[in-house]
Amino acid sequence: MRQSQAAVLERYRILEGEFATEPYEAGWATEARWFVQVLRSSSPDTKLVLTTQISPDGLHWCDAGDPPQVAEGEGMVSWPVREFGQWLRVRGSVEGDEGSVKVLIYLTLKS
Amino acid sequence: MGKTDDAALAGHLRRAMLDADPALSRFNPLSRILVFDQFDSGTHGWTELIGNHDGEGNLDTVDDHMRDFRPPQLSSCTFFDVGTHGAMSGTYALKVATRPIAGHTAVAIRRLTMAKKGRVQFETYFTYKAEAASAENGAANQAGAGEWDGNIHPSEQQFGAFTVATDICDDRGVRYHCVARYQNTDLDNRFTRRWMYPVVPEPTPREHLEGKAKLGRTDDFTAPNPDDWRYFGEPQSFCYNEVPTKVNWHYLRWQIDTELQRNVELQVNDQVFDMRDVPVPAYAERYDALDNLLNFYVSTRTHTNVRNFLFLDSVLVSVDW
Repeated sequence: MRQSQAAVLERYRILEGEFATEPYEAGWATEARWFVQVLRSSSPDTKLVLTTQISPDGLHWCDAGDPPQVAEGEGMVSWPVREFGQWLRVRGSVEGDEGSVKVLIYLTLKS
Repeated sequence: MGKTDDAALAGHLRRAMLDADPALSRFNPLSRILVFDQFDSGTHGWTELIGNHDGEGNLDTVDDHMRDFRPPQLSSCTFFDVGTHGAMSGTYALKVATRPIAGHTAVAIRRLTMAKKGRVQFETYFTYKAEAASAENGAANQAGAGEWDGNIHPSEQQFGAFTVATDICDDRGVRYHCVARYQNTDLDNRFTRRWMYPVVPEPTPREHLEGKAKLGRTDDFTAPNPDDWRYFGEPQSFCYNEVPTKVNWHYLRWQIDTELQRNVELQVNDQVFDMRDVPVPAYAERYDALDNLLNFYVSTRTHTNVRNFLFLDSVLVSVDW
């Protein structure tokens, strides 16, 4: 049977401006999928722009190369990641005048 | 052969069988092994601790200090200088990691119940580290960092504390925590290297709901007032091994007695601490829905704006039931 794990990296966190999630080790996993749930948005057109980042050591990061995901208003967005190496995180920004979003961010992993 | 001899022989045979198993021979279990978690094969039920939420699933109702204990990670102990270090048993260890925020605590918990009261023993091979410095994390300039003398690394003083603890409730609703914390540094990032215990029970979500307790996000959830902690035993130094990227595994064996609601003893490598006189404060009120609760948790707490990590290679919990 394959191994799997779901981690809640941000829980009801209010994000503004630029941010990055905590580093998460996932070297054992072959595939990953992000789920980002926007529970509350300061306005319907507030955008949350999300980019997967990868790292060999948990200290130094680069973009994974996938196009950024954009969540507009409330709801959930999800996207897969493969061939990511050792560490994963999401960097992002909340766009819109003094925009903020309240989020749940899950990282799901499978061997 | 008399009965005593039979018991002695059975004991020798049991130990011989443990010794014949390379995975178990490094442990000293009581008569029944309840769980044996080698993290090279998964998380084995160790999960993030979180406070309680309301009937609608609104996580805003979780206490501020109990909503961000961080998900444990299956770590290959990989570092910037050597790449993958690996664990003691295979490649992966369980990593409990704080945020880089002074006072932040990360907690992983294992949830069991008791089939009977008696002796319970928690054994693990562990190590701990502060995060190595980078331009992004700025650890080299955070509190606790000092001069590198070629031996003791500045990052060692950036590791705060780790804790092994229980949450236990008997069949009458009497709830208590046995707790042993290794304080590597005090809140001013000076080495103390002492074992300590709290003299008050941990504030609970019910006490918060009843208006008896309200903790901030980075308050010490085990016992928030530093004055409510006492040292026990002599100072103990470990093998941090000079830099934040070398991993040496340490043996820990901690025994409690759920019949007596007491600690028994703590062994960490070559030191054995008699804990029978270490008090275990129980809650004055009774708790429902927790009959025979037997939870173990491990936590790490940073005293500076640097991530702290606690790594467990494996855990064995045994009982004398």
